[in-house]
Amino acid sequence: MSSGPYNYSYIFKYIIIGDMGVGKSCLLHQFTEKKFMADCPHTIGVEFGTRIIEVSGQKIKLQIWDTAGQERFRAVTRSYYRGAAGALIIYDITRRSTYNHLSSWLTDARNLTNPNTVIFLIGNKSDLDAQRDVTYDEAKKFADENGLKFVEASAKTGENVEEAFLETAKKIYESIQDGSLDLNAAESGVQKKPTANGARTLSSENAEGRNPSSCSC
Amino acid sequence: MEVLTDFVTDDYLREFEVKYNDEIANSNGKPNDETVFQYAWCLTRSRLLSDVKKGVMFLEQLLASCKTDQAHKRDYLYYLAVGYTRMKDFTVARKYIKSLLQLEPGNRQAQELEKAIKSEMETEALKGAAMAGGGLLAAGALVALGMALLKKK
Ligand SMILES: Nc1nc2c(ncn2[C@@H]2O[C@H](COP(=O)(O)OP(=O)(O)OP(=O)(O)O)[C@@H](O)[C@H]2O)c(=O)[nH]1
Ligand SMILES: [Mg+2]
Repeated sequence: MSSGPYNYSYIFKYIIIGDMGVGKSCLLHQFTEKKFMADCPHTIGVEFGTRIIEVSGQKIKLQIWDTAGQERFRAVTRSYYRGAAGALIIYDITRRSTYNHLSSWLTDARNLTNPNTVIFLIGNKSDLDAQRDVTYDEAKKFADENGLKFVEASAKTGENVEEAFLETAKKIYESIQDGSLDLNAAESGVQKKPTANGARTLSSENAEGRNPSSCSC
Repeated sequence: MEVLTDFVTDDYLREFEVKYNDEIANSNGKPNDETVFQYAWCLTRSRLLSDVKKGVMFLEQLLASCKTDQAHKRDYLYYLAVGYTRMKDFTVARKYIKSLLQLEPGNRQAQELEKAIKSEMETEALKGAAMAGGGLLAAGALVALGMALLKKK
């Protein structure tokens, strides 16, 4: 029961935030199902998605909370930020107002997560280049000034979607490796292998790399 | 389904409780609908059954006084279905999720919740059967329960 796709070394918690209609749920769906939803209703409160990925030979389960962008939900969706190892902040490249609100999303993300949380900025709907309202250079500059990773992506074509989620995981994994992220801190957003099969000792051995062949399957 | 199993932390629950009580104290006892909704939503995510019950009671009051605004109705129906599922009152939970699907038949989030409620209900029924029946029946139910849990993954 402990083999196969359910076998992973870490769990990372992500949150996806940003104005309503920027494509948060579509990005999540594209990442977990590899499909685009053309007609997607506004999220009611929060949605959840999960996928197992691989970083440096380690299987990692991403647990992703997709929050509703509508203002009336915002007070409560904030309670999902805590303990996020990764935060994806999304704006829509065809709607300037969604870009103008970034600093408020960023402030929330900074205040409510921990200093090691990896924050990734995504300009979504890059397929709609003809209707572009925010240039790449401008957003890139904003990202650099604030120390954020940045890509433009499209939940419709899938461009850069995989990359954004994986890059975030890579950066989190790096801070585990270099010791800056304390796994024992309650709010690191990272858990070592769950104990569903009760094999606590075994799992920590695996994570320490005593079983290098486990990733070659 | 995580929306049915995640818990709110005490500090957030308290924050919305305080906000609710403040509004009662400062506005002739009539808090803002939004404040009530926020508090109710947090209550449905509590570990305490009594909180969840209080949460769905607030949501039912909001729903009863919500005549025209479909967007808000949708929110109430969704979290009523969540709350009643957490209380394991599946009949009422299904009633609410069905009303939501009547408003928005194509809503994927609502469809997923309906599925999750169904599978939760089956799991509980099998658990009940396993406890009630002895011997073979219980063993059979346990196998079925195991299969149901595996399928849910
Ligand atoms: N052309 C194009 N349309 C997109 C893209 N991503 C999302 N959309 C459309 O934009 C609309 C909103 O997408 P959602 O994913 O529901 O937006 P959201 O950010 O989750 O919105 P809330 O849940 O209200 O916060 C939908 O109609 C999508 O089909 C994209 O990359 N390209
Ligand atoms: Mg959404």
